[in-house]
Amino acid sequence: MSALAIDNLTKSFGDVQTLKGINIALDSGEFLVLLGASGCGKSTLLNIIAGLAEPTSGGVSIDGRSLTGVHPKDRDIAMVFQSYALYPNLTVARNIGFGLEMRRVPKPERERAVLEAARLLQIEPLLDRKPSQLSGGQRQRVAIGRALVRQPKVFLFDEPLSNLDAKLRMEMRTELKRLHQMLKTTIVYVTHDQIEAMTLATRIAVMRNGKIEQWGTPEAIYQRPATAYVATFVGAPPMNMLAGIWREGGLQINGLDRMLDLPRPKAAKADKITLGIRPEALQLGNDGISLPLRVDVSELTGPELIVTGKIGTQRLVASFPARHRIDTGELLDLRLPADQAHFFDVETGKRLNDDSHD
Amino acid sequence: MSSSWLTTRAWLLMLPLLAVMVGVIGWPLAETVRLSFTDAKLVGTGGDYVGLANYSKMLTGSAFQKTLWATLWFALASVAIEMVVGVLAALLLNEKFYGRTILRALMILPWALPTVVNATLWRLIYNPEYGAMNAALTQIGLIDAYRSWLGEPGSAMWAIILADVWKNFPLVTLIALAALQAVPRDTIAASLVDGAGPFRRFRYVTLPHLAGPLMVALVLRTIEAFKVFDIIWIMTRGGPANTTRTLSILVYQEGFSFQRAGSGASLALIVTLMVSLLALAYGGLLRKTAGRMD
Ligand SMILES: Nc1ncnc2c1ncn2[C@@H]1O[C@H](COP(=O)(O)OP(=O)(O)OP(=O)(O)O)[C@@H](O)[C@H]1O
Ligand SMILES: [Mg+2]
Repeated sequence: MSALAIDNLTKSFGDVQTLKGINIALDSGEFLVLLGASGCGKSTLLNIIAGLAEPTSGGVSIDGRSLTGVHPKDRDIAMVFQSYALYPNLTVARNIGFGLEMRRVPKPERERAVLEAARLLQIEPLLDRKPSQLSGGQRQRVAIGRALVRQPKVFLFDEPLSNLDAKLRMEMRTELKRLHQMLKTTIVYVTHDQIEAMTLATRIAVMRNGKIEQWGTPEAIYQRPATAYVATFVGAPPMNMLAGIWREGGLQINGLDRMLDLPRPKAAKADKITLGIRPEALQLGNDGISLPLRVDVSELTGPELIVTGKIGTQRLVASFPARHRIDTGELLDLRLPADQAHFFDVETGKRLNDDSHD
Repeated sequence: MSSSWLTTRAWLLMLPLLAVMVGVIGWPLAETVRLSFTDAKLVGTGGDYVGLANYSKMLTGSAFQKTLWATLWFALASVAIEMVVGVLAALLLNEKFYGRTILRALMILPWALPTVVNATLWRLIYNPEYGAMNAALTQIGLIDAYRSWLGEPGSAMWAIILADVWKNFPLVTLIALAALQAVPRDTIAASLVDGAGPFRRFRYVTLPHLAGPLMVALVLRTIEAFKVFDIIWIMTRGGPANTTRTLSILVYQEGFSFQRAGSGASLALIVTLMVSLLALAYGGLLRKTAGRMD
């Protein structure tokens, strides 16, 4: 039995189908991240899980209990919103305890729970303040506290960090990870930030146009992206996508005379193919397949050196540890380890590698 | 260019307007103050200095006190009912239902009508012989004989209050409706998940966003209601038995009907002072509300 199960769920607004058959089975204690570009239906899906919107067809169940027709308050879920959604004229303490107050939990018990949550989130000194007297990060902690005290079966987060500045976002990310490891509650977390997804998730669902494009662990999503879309969505800088053709001697990248000595996957029926290479997979050295790159731009981001150039007629980005020094105009002999090549069908975008199935 | 020249030029540019303002506001005001210390009549002779006699006569007279109570009664009752009805109407019109857009547009109508038209309309409705009010109430059996709603001291004020509410609640609705658009959807969603019912949701999610704008509506309406003249003048002229006579009507009677310009002026200044104090107090209240909101 899954902690959270979603069966063939669809949702239409008028003529437009926003969710086109979502299936999810999530084990207890997992941290699921719904990752996808703006407008792909992440919030819609989360709202349906929360009971804030009705699905057009299909259903949601938590611990085997169908939630069809169940009011949000009775679903054993708690939700944290991007805009924090605090009650403006209640103190932090009452904001956090509001859900318990509504459930007529006796005052002493409520206060104990609020204090415990506040301690966990390190906002004890703020309990008597009003939300307007808090910073964005503090507000988000209060919003998380309000969800924590309820001790729900499933936590729902809708882009909780996207209103915070970069530094705070990183801090809160670590904080969320710590909380999850401690509480071990099932979490569904919506974001369009792939770094958040990679760092927080035990399971990622990459969504696109109302469908789940790939479902897997962060490692699987990163190392074996199921489609070209996922491959370019996850990872920064994004994966290079080079157009090529299979010939006698190997793979020829468009615009490059030389053949690359790559094994043709069994699934690669068509001659045309897309070769995906992660910028960080490219190395300087002697091992692997040689790729000549004329450097156009070289940027130091701090920890990394990002190099952009042309291979044949196509653009290629490579990234190296910052200790390297590479100048504009240089001709690099980049090396690609054969197991770091990703193949995608030109038409369907499907992954074609001969992955061992584990 | 020196800043002193800029200042001078600014004053020069404003001079024509200032002259007009002094002419149409300053001079009449000064004249009213002067008159209030005299026994001037509206026409003819008189105009000797009498000191504070006008003020003491007006403030201690039984007419003034009775009128003050009538004014307060009218202002408090009509504004209170307008606020409640206005907010309820806004909440209703904020829900999605068939015909909402039309209803929203129609609702503005009473407020858009000139007061004179509104007052005349209601006088017809209250007419003791052929008025719609009598017809409706007898038909549903609430009263068994036709009554003169505006002619009886017991009902005249309430009849006017009803007419005033009908005209002015749309303003409150309009302001509240605009404020309701600003209530964040997420917070409503959060209150649903937290398990708050409709009343708690209104209290903790909706009302905090309504409070500021409603305060503005309250200030506008109270000050206006305190100064009320036209609707009452048309409907009852302050009668019957002076039960609907408000301060503005008293001023008019004193100054024009009884032609006592001196004491009329003093009364007018007393009312002006009261309204100013009201406005000042509300101004402070508004600032406090605004401070609490952000
Ligand atoms: N109430 C609604 N009525 C009509 N269309 C809607 C409604 N809610 C969402 N949509 C549409 O459904 C699609 C998905 O919206 P949704 O809010 O789920 O996207 P999202 O993935 O959360 O995007 P974002 O990252 O921008 O928050 C959008 O195209 C949106 O216009
Ligand atoms: Mg969203």
